[in-house]
Amino acid sequence: MPSRLSFFSSTVGSKILIGLTGLLLFGFLIGHLAGNLTLLVGAESFNSYAHKLEGLVPVLYLAEVGLVAIFVLHVVRTLLNVWRNTVARPTRYSDKRRAYHTSRKSWSSTTMPLTGLFILAFVVLHIRTFKFGAFYRDPTTGERDLFRLVAEVYQNPLYVGFYVAAMILIGMHLNHGISSAAQSLGLSNQRYGRGLVLGGRMLAVVIAGGFAVLPLYMYVAY
Amino acid sequence: MQLDGKVPGGPIESRWERHKFESKLVNPANRRKLTVLVIGTGLAGASASAALGELGYNVLTFCIHDSPRRAHSIAAQGGINAAKNYRNDGDSVYRLFYDTVKGGDYRARESNVYRLAQVSADIIDQCVAQGVPFAREYGGLLDNRSFGGAQVSRTFYARGQTGQQLLIGAYQSMMRQVDAGTVKLFPQREMLDVVMVEGQARGVIMRNLVTGELEKWAGDAVLLATGGYGTVYYLSTNAVNSNVTAAWRAHKRGALFANPCFTQIHPTCIPVSGDHQSKLTLMSESLRNDGRVWVPKDARDPRPPQQIPEPERDYYLERRYPSFGNLVPRDVASRAAKLVCDEGLGVGDTGLAVYLDFADSIGRLGKDVIKQRYGNLFDMYQKITDDNPYQVPMRIFPAVHYTMGGLWVDYNLMSTIPGLHVLGEANFSDHGANRLGASALMQGLADGYFVIPNTLSHYLAGTSLPKVTAEHDAFAEAASNAQGQITRLLTVRGQKTPRELHRQLGRLVWDYVGMSRTAEGLRTALTEIPRLREEFWHNVSVPGEANNMNKNLEYAGRVADYLEFAELLARDALEREESCGGHFREEFQTPDNEAQRDDLQFAHAAAWEFTGVGQAPVRHVEPLQFDYVKPSQRSYK
Amino acid sequence: MSMNLTLRIWRQANPGTPGRLVEYAAQGISPDMSFLEMLDVVNEQLIRKGEEPVAFDSDCREGICGTCGCMVNGVAHGPDAAATVCQLHMRRFKNGDTITIEPWRAAAFPVVKDLVVDRSALDRIVRAGGYISMNVGAAPDANAMPVAKGLADEAFDAAACIQCGACVAACKNASAALFTAAKISHLNLLPQGQAERGRRAVAMVDQMDVEGFGACSNEGECEAVCPKEISISNIARMNREYLRARLVAR
Repeated sequence: MPSRLSFFSSTVGSKILIGLTGLLLFGFLIGHLAGNLTLLVGAESFNSYAHKLEGLVPVLYLAEVGLVAIFVLHVVRTLLNVWRNTVARPTRYSDKRRAYHTSRKSWSSTTMPLTGLFILAFVVLHIRTFKFGAFYRDPTTGERDLFRLVAEVYQNPLYVGFYVAAMILIGMHLNHGISSAAQSLGLSNQRYGRGLVLGGRMLAVVIAGGFAVLPLYMYVAY
Repeated sequence: MQLDGKVPGGPIESRWERHKFESKLVNPANRRKLTVLVIGTGLAGASASAALGELGYNVLTFCIHDSPRRAHSIAAQGGINAAKNYRNDGDSVYRLFYDTVKGGDYRARESNVYRLAQVSADIIDQCVAQGVPFAREYGGLLDNRSFGGAQVSRTFYARGQTGQQLLIGAYQSMMRQVDAGTVKLFPQREMLDVVMVEGQARGVIMRNLVTGELEKWAGDAVLLATGGYGTVYYLSTNAVNSNVTAAWRAHKRGALFANPCFTQIHPTCIPVSGDHQSKLTLMSESLRNDGRVWVPKDARDPRPPQQIPEPERDYYLERRYPSFGNLVPRDVASRAAKLVCDEGLGVGDTGLAVYLDFADSIGRLGKDVIKQRYGNLFDMYQKITDDNPYQVPMRIFPAVHYTMGGLWVDYNLMSTIPGLHVLGEANFSDHGANRLGASALMQGLADGYFVIPNTLSHYLAGTSLPKVTAEHDAFAEAASNAQGQITRLLTVRGQKTPRELHRQLGRLVWDYVGMSRTAEGLRTALTEIPRLREEFWHNVSVPGEANNMNKNLEYAGRVADYLEFAELLARDALEREESCGGHFREEFQTPDNEAQRDDLQFAHAAAWEFTGVGQAPVRHVEPLQFDYVKPSQRSYK
Repeated sequence: MSMNLTLRIWRQANPGTPGRLVEYAAQGISPDMSFLEMLDVVNEQLIRKGEEPVAFDSDCREGICGTCGCMVNGVAHGPDAAATVCQLHMRRFKNGDTITIEPWRAAAFPVVKDLVVDRSALDRIVRAGGYISMNVGAAPDANAMPVAKGLADEAFDAAACIQCGACVAACKNASAALFTAAKISHLNLLPQGQAERGRRAVAMVDQMDVEGFGACSNEGECEAVCPKEISISNIARMNREYLRARLVAR
């Protein structure tokens, strides 16, 4: 169908883009968590997982570039929408409250841009800490001992606290984000719309909880 | 003046077809050069705009609302009749025609009613194709119900909001023409005058309700679809902005006003709760299918209704009308309620209410069935009154609902002003002295979709219409006339609000020209109304200015017109010395208090000619002939 | 038993001048009054004093015409579920309450005066494609095309929209997604509306964007304040229809 607007700049298309990229990032989180759970098994298991990832090199770079692109699309399109939404209501209400009844408005939903920006900053920090952190070599295999770095970082209670707090914020972002993405992509209907909201919330708890357990475990165990 | 209804001859079944064939047509290429001004966007106005736009006329459509979809047709609950005979229960065009003429107490033009019944089926086809979501059965076909005591199931409905769904259909069709460029839409405009050039209606003066500007619009024909005058009673089921202004100003320019005394009082409304009340809410008539109407036998019975034992209750409808019981027609049920309240048997704080009791039905069918049938109505009732009708009987009282009278029109829907056509509730209509349930929507859409596109072309093609622009002197005269009244309203600077004066007028009209009328009362009204009008012009308060949005100024203008119109209403009621349909004169009743028609003297439409404010209007008569449905006394015993 | 209330009402003379909240005392208010009747009482007092009454829109006063609407204590149409502000009754408030009353706020709904806003943007969205193209006279018999009851009911649920604009007012982004979605759903669900299905979705979404409404954040505030309880699952449907029309259909 011809349209006066490009697909991704329309309100509907932009939300489809944000939802789609959001779900892809969520998919990445699932994979990331699955891999990181090897931390619970032990150093060897974790390092071998990390090593296998590095072995995929040309594909890995492609995936990394793709991931960055998805991330950038997600962030930029959202910022543009935040701007558009602000312009759409130039005069604020002097009194505005949450509507009652079926409203899904929550702390999570109202803080999406803020938690999102926090996640952006966190990701940069996170990559610097680990991917570009101290390079220890495993004396036996001669390969990078990422486990040692992780274990060291998580000896600092301040860092553990920060990391757990960050996971709570990511959880909040996912709490609204997962079901919202499904709704934006048109995957919801009247019958299971409420179920999607609950499902999204449960997934958010599982993902954020799963990530948060790791530093706590590392702090206590090592 | 000789009133010519322009009814075609021949057998009634073929009159409309023949008339269409004999009508002149406008060449398709010439249509866009012809401008049609449509005032009002209810069912009649919106459907006419859509239909005329589709034909290619240059249509300019105006409404007082901020959106054309808000016109009061939207509030109709029950349904729309059509002689489809989908139920195989013996319905036919002829039966719908017969029922409508009889239900109107033999005061409608047979040819018009027959045409209405004929096009009724086309309306349903049209609306379904437009996407109106009528109720359906599991098989996917349309559902029907029997409505208002009809013996066949010919009513199509869309939950409790048939009016809204039909209006959305007409509105969407009209918006399609707006998109196509054939219809230009002007919301927030109120018509203040019809502009006459050489005896023809050639334009209108509209007030822009946002800027206050008076606009002059020229055209080749004017269509009024501005609804009824029920709010002359102040309290009615009409919307608070419904008014008679456009029709009344057209009347003052020479359009005769017919049968204003035919007003319909609906029996099942939520009673008045206090002076603050701004409108009355209708509860669908269908409630009477399962509710029983009663009052206590003892006028001073202090007990709550549930505690009053059976023998001390008077189920007066069942007592007086054993065969129809609680399902007697609207006018009969309303009058019976008034009668018991006049005897002091009314209930509630005001004594102006009767009980509508569902206890028996709940006992017999269970609460769930009742909830399924009337759940939304019960909720609405509880929201307004704070009473739970599953536990205590509802309190109901009649309220003004619809007006059968209106500007006189011929078979072509043209008024006595050439070029001025009147559609829907605004004309004196096909309903005679009483409208049957689910017939108003039918008439509005019949006029707009099917009648006017044919009859208007005949007028436009067959009339010499010299070019007229808004620069013509007649526009300046009409505009300065309208401006004069606005200035007058703003300069009174009195003590009373338009609402107070409107409330006073409403009380007066309700008391003397309401459900039950007497010559004496009507004469009182005829002396009191001019007095109140006098007071209005000396004591109304309209703060603010004319050059911006001033809702109080708009309102004051409408009340001013009602203060003139009310006099005509009372006069028509006084002159019609019979009881029929919505007009009940206490002097003319059978020994058992039923309406007594006088077909010898009053089988006619009375059309009034304006002669000046406060001057006696002239009564003209269009005799009504009944060749097919022979008049008989209505009986519901 | 009557109540005395303090009202803080938005007064704005016209679109060009800035507005402000003005305090009024509403005295002797009966709990049986509707909210708008309470405003009528306040206006009567202002008129008697020769002051300009508060301009607010209303018409049918039974919750179907969609004319009325304002923010009552920060919630569109006030605290009752499934009700317009004309259906809100004063028994919902307590003696001594302060009530803040503001107009709908959105760039696409400029204030005309006081509590009156211009909602013609919604009409323009309908004009863009909210119809089935069918000329009078061309319709087949109404029963020629059966429509499954479930489908008809679902279309009806969407068609119940009264175009009041509360969804826009309640949305933190002033998005008209629920309105537009309801209109698209109503017609796109019905077999009669299939021929124009894709064009309709695209044209109406386009117009919604041109009017300057924000994007949907899926918070469901719109559904919560909707007097007709129209579900936001319609928005999901609109998104599907739009996606399909833009990417698949021709």
